[in-house]
Amino acid sequence: MATSFKLRAALVAGFALFGAVCPMLAHHSFAAEYDSTKTVTVKGTVNHLSWVNPHAYVFVDVKDASGKVTTWAFESLSPNALSRQGWNRNSLKQGEEVTVEGYMAKDNKPLADGSIHANSRGITRADGRKVFVGSSADDVPSK
Amino acid sequence: MSKRYLNSLTAAAAAAAMLSLLPVASVGQSNAKTDAKTGKSKAGQKENAADFQSAPTPTGPAPKMPNGKPDLSGVWTPGLSFTQMGQVPLQPWAEEVYKQRRANLSKDDPEGHCLPAGVPRISPFLQKFVQTPTLLVILDEGNIHSYRQVFLDGRPHLDDPGPLWMGDSIGKWDGDTLVVDTIDLNDKTWLNGQGLPHSEDLHVIERFKRPDLGHLEIEITMDDPKAFTKPHTFSRTYLLRPTWEIQEYVCNEFNVDAEHLVGK
Repeated sequence: MATSFKLRAALVAGFALFGAVCPMLAHHSFAAEYDSTKTVTVKGTVNHLSWVNPHAYVFVDVKDASGKVTTWAFESLSPNALSRQGWNRNSLKQGEEVTVEGYMAKDNKPLADGSIHANSRGITRADGRKVFVGSSADDVPSK
Repeated sequence: MSKRYLNSLTAAAAAAAMLSLLPVASVGQSNAKTDAKTGKSKAGQKENAADFQSAPTPTGPAPKMPNGKPDLSGVWTPGLSFTQMGQVPLQPWAEEVYKQRRANLSKDDPEGHCLPAGVPRISPFLQKFVQTPTLLVILDEGNIHSYRQVFLDGRPHLDDPGPLWMGDSIGKWDGDTLVVDTIDLNDKTWLNGQGLPHSEDLHVIERFKRPDLGHLEIEITMDDPKAFTKPHTFSRTYLLRPTWEIQEYVCNEFNVDAEHLVGK
């Protein structure tokens, strides 16, 4: 299973900077739902993409050594924010290989369909192209 | 951190180029190759990312209505304006509420439950202003689809309509400045994502100026004797995006976040 948890100080620092520049791209508090210190990298195939509000979701199937498939659900940005960066619901194809980097949900509870819940900060396709880059990492106090 | 990644962060920040802490000078255009005939990238996606990032703010004189007043109509991005409110002087009870909301990492923010933002809170998304001589309508793309009606026909405030999510707004011209007076706001909304509270006595005065075609300057004064120790004034600047349009944002479509907002 090509899944690993890594603490990446540099990226976390990078996202702290991102947060300072671009907070609240989500309609909710990032910090109340996801753990910015618990980063995850998942390699698998696209099960499907939900192009929905308030956040698009990318569902990725990950097969372990025994052949067991686990589905991950990655929250992305909202469709309006994604589309203004040039992406759409065809930017990922069902069955294609992707690597998703993101953050784990704090409550460790799956979504209603049983998929593992996480937040995406970017997806790399097999050809190296990155799509759906950006996260709702935010929560910068204004005072 | 890749250049493409930085590009997208900057793109998402919309007006970050103006205010950014990032090394904007190093941010280039999209690396994606675009087919000259179809305008599509190799991935088949419409290659408008570069447009989004460059997104020039038009220049020129501010348009006027037939009655000679400035026309505030247009599609505007608040850029980073939506984060800027400054130090709001809170009464002790309000300070306590604010601390609790910070401690809970804003898990109970009404916006996380797809409720309206209220006034003067805004989202990072676009606003469309549609103005007639007697009415200004402000259409919010997000956090939810919501609208404000600002009546310019000289009518007084409503007679106690009860607390409203977006309040009751009337506008009058002070020279070329539109002064919008808003009352009758409920106390369910937060003033920002960090949880600044207010009471139903909140009175908001917004002074809209369009100094040129591409800019909308808004000076906002919030007066709430129950929640603040004194009135608080801050400013926002919106940028015109003439080639953009507001999009759908149906917040309740798949708001699975609500049940996973646990705070600490």
